[in-house]
Amino acid sequence: MCQHSRPEGDPAGQASGDASGDASQKASGAPVWRRPPRGAQGEGQGPAAFVAALAALEQAPGRRVGRLELVAAALAAMPALGVARDREAYHRLLRLLPRGVWVPRGPFQRLLAPFPRQQECGLQILEQMEQYGVIPDAETRFLLLGVFGPHSRPVRKCQRMLYWLPRLRHVDPHPLPPSLPPSGLATAHLGLRRIANDPDAHITVYQRPVPDEGDDEGSIQPYIVGAQSPDQQELLARHGPARPVFVEGPFPLWLRSTRLSYYVLRGDPLPPHLREDPPDPERSLYYPLHLDLDLERGPWDDDDFDVEEVEEGPVFALCIAGAGDRHTLGKWIAGLQEANPVLGCTPVVFRLGDGEPTTAGAPGGHPEPRLEAAPPRPVVLGPPDPPRRHGHSTSGDTRSGGGPGAPPAAPGE
Amino acid sequence: MSELGQRESNSFAVGMFLGRLNTEQVFPYPSALSEEQEQTLQELVGPVTRFFEEVNNPARNDELERMEDATMQGLKELGAFGLQVPPEMGGLGLSNTQYARLVDIVGQHDLGVGITLGAHQSIGFKGLLLYGTPAQKKKYLPRLATGETVAAFCLTEPGSGSDAASIRTRAQPSPCGTFYTLDGSKIWISNGGLAEIFTVFAKTPLRDEGTGETKEKITAFIVERSFGGVTHGAPEKKMGIRASNTAEVHFEGVRVPAENVLGVPGGGFKVAMNILNNGRFGMAAAMAGTMRGILAKAVEHATNRTQFGDKIHNFGAIQEKLARMALLQYVTESMAYMISANMDQGATDFQIEAAISKIFGSEAAWTVTDECIQVMGGMGFMQESGVERVLRDLRVFRIFEGTNDILRLFVALNGFQVGGLGSALKSPLGNVGVLAGEVTRRLRRKAGLGSGLSLQDHVHPDLQESTLQCLELFAETADALLLKHGKNIVDEQFVLKRVADSAIDIYAMVVVLSRASRSLAMEQPTAQHERLLCDTWCQEAHQRVFATLRPLPTESFRNLRGIARAVVESGGVVGPTPLGF
Repeated sequence: MCQHSRPEGDPAGQASGDASGDASQKASGAPVWRRPPRGAQGEGQGPAAFVAALAALEQAPGRRVGRLELVAAALAAMPALGVARDREAYHRLLRLLPRGVWVPRGPFQRLLAPFPRQQECGLQILEQMEQYGVIPDAETRFLLLGVFGPHSRPVRKCQRMLYWLPRLRHVDPHPLPPSLPPSGLATAHLGLRRIANDPDAHITVYQRPVPDEGDDEGSIQPYIVGAQSPDQQELLARHGPARPVFVEGPFPLWLRSTRLSYYVLRGDPLPPHLREDPPDPERSLYYPLHLDLDLERGPWDDDDFDVEEVEEGPVFALCIAGAGDRHTLGKWIAGLQEANPVLGCTPVVFRLGDGEPTTAGAPGGHPEPRLEAAPPRPVVLGPPDPPRRHGHSTSGDTRSGGGPGAPPAAPGE
Repeated sequence: MSELGQRESNSFAVGMFLGRLNTEQVFPYPSALSEEQEQTLQELVGPVTRFFEEVNNPARNDELERMEDATMQGLKELGAFGLQVPPEMGGLGLSNTQYARLVDIVGQHDLGVGITLGAHQSIGFKGLLLYGTPAQKKKYLPRLATGETVAAFCLTEPGSGSDAASIRTRAQPSPCGTFYTLDGSKIWISNGGLAEIFTVFAKTPLRDEGTGETKEKITAFIVERSFGGVTHGAPEKKMGIRASNTAEVHFEGVRVPAENVLGVPGGGFKVAMNILNNGRFGMAAAMAGTMRGILAKAVEHATNRTQFGDKIHNFGAIQEKLARMALLQYVTESMAYMISANMDQGATDFQIEAAISKIFGSEAAWTVTDECIQVMGGMGFMQESGVERVLRDLRVFRIFEGTNDILRLFVALNGFQVGGLGSALKSPLGNVGVLAGEVTRRLRRKAGLGSGLSLQDHVHPDLQESTLQCLELFAETADALLLKHGKNIVDEQFVLKRVADSAIDIYAMVVVLSRASRSLAMEQPTAQHERLLCDTWCQEAHQRVFATLRPLPTESFRNLRGIARAVVESGGVVGPTPLGF
């Protein structure tokens, strides 16, 4: 549609005004629907504004031309006005379209794909409804029938939506609340619930944010929320202190339009010769309890590398933190240690940011020089961390992990 | 590929799982008797048969719940207690085929005596024959062979039937290492009250040299009653085989010299498995003999009984029964002699076939005897006809030496294991350019082109068709199951049972084809009759295989599981009578 390039909801934008050359146009030169609504100017948002804008149009005298552009613009404006999830708003839009004019008469006219742009317009309305998860109802269908006739594409689409969307409404096992809280502890909880699918998983807040609400940019104490299930605890206990575990991150997690970053405590998979023994071959006197099946290689074998077939090691715990630096994550590990004492003797390797592995050195270890195109950040050596209990060590290096919005660590952190 | 490497197996059953036709062991019908052996056998058959007809009184044995002394003495004189012991040790040194023929006779007349003899030599001192050191053999075999001492096989415990890990009998090695102290008890030991020599399986602590940890492993011992501390309980009251003595055996502080370990310390599991596997072939021969006797009784009754103005053998209902009995007997007999001949010819891979023959034989014998009672009507039910005793005796054959259900799992799982495929076929039409042997076969089968197998060279032209189809379907199903379940097929017992049933049916088909072909080729007088039996059997088996395997009723399995769960939860039948109470 021709309205793609127009900015959203721009009441003062200069429109090409292709079809609104009627005398009722105000001297501002903008078409009717692009003028600011006649309500309170400050109240630019909300269904009321939308209604007011449409009402203004209804009352505008003259031929109803440029209706398709109108609908397109209105659709584009809806998210900004906050009515994108309001079915009534879509009904009002539909009521603007003429009834009966665009209904093809007879099978031959239907055969010729009548009123393509008009039907596209109807489809656009329905697509936007689908995008925002608005389920049409009988009234929507009735309106569409009146406008486009019974065998038209918008009506068929509406029928499909009426069939599928109610079924898919509850398909999300972890639905998000209609309006997300601002990025913080609450969204971290939601995010962890989504990833840590196990209903047994315990979500623990290891550190509350200070200040309590609001954005954690520059906060002194970022929040740390972690999730671990009893199965993971068992796996970690069995992983043993001899082999290292890795803290990896940040990985992005999108909750609607909020981006969170989560970190993962992972181990490497066991080499084949160390894996769990099959059941004792001398257990059953009469039949084998375990089959040793050979893999055969033949020309039908698929030698391509498939990323789904990569064997990953076990994931022991998850965490979402306000800041993604080693210090904060170190606090997370310290918190995990309460439930997993084996972490005290297991070497923890932090692989943050761009995946550069850096072993946790002794407290106060010197930072490695880093070549960057940009002027290098001053590497500030903080005083060494006090030695952690149980031999657990985090590097006192102040290089940030690169989480979004993570502030460069202040000295002494 | 593994099956072309070290574990290449000639066994027909293993080949079945791979979709191959391993004809070495089955075609032509093997005959492993030299002239001399045949002569010896013929000389033995007469006296043994006469003995069982004249001296042995099965009804009396059953009533007394033990063998009469005259019978015992007579058997010892015949040498029946050491049939397979080498002649230099005092036995008859019979081959497996000769042994099967004699067991056939025993089975025909008295199964209780058969069990006494079988528990003595087929499992009781088999360990000595298979694993004994020359010193042990010299010490024990002569007296065992003449029957002076009787042997028993002691494996089962109250808590341990098939599960070796739950064996509680322990043999503690002495600090000096010269003897073990045995403590524990075994139940349901045949010949437990009579035996002097016991093959006992007990757990011994074993120090693993590599890791230094001590594990408890099973060790096999030869225990003499004279070591002291061996007691037995009263004879158990059984449903059948009452002539055979079954008792609990208790070992309290028995001192077993270290020289009496059979095999190596800690190697008892293998000893147990091999003894059990080796003893199974004789059972099918015994069952074949039993069925021969029972069929004779049924025919005798059917030909003499007149109802509605006609002998009842002219009525279709009876004819069907008699025919089915004949079929089952023919198949069992063919299996029994084929397997024993295979063993004599030196085959190493016959365990699956032996298990198949045990399953088939025991169930066939039960069916045949049941039908015989049916044919005989009320007479069959009365004790004086003797058939009900045989039915009672036969019931235990489906239970001991590995219950038939467990052996079905063995057949299926061993087949998958030894003929294992792995997750071979991911994309069936992959690279059709490279074709060689195995690949050709599998790809062709997957593409529905038929496996190119042919029985042409082996089977008389009249007899081939249905077997090949069954083989194909079986291999296809085995493939599909492995692809679907992989190693977890071990847990799918509903499915494994059906696979085993089909394997049994197919092996039975091939066995009768082989025997009937040979008869036709040698133009034996019974050739046409055998051909009739063979055709009928193959038709019915073919239908059964197709009905079982296509499709596998997984929904029915789920339902059965659910019903079982409900029944277990309510401790029995779930609801009251239709009356509501």
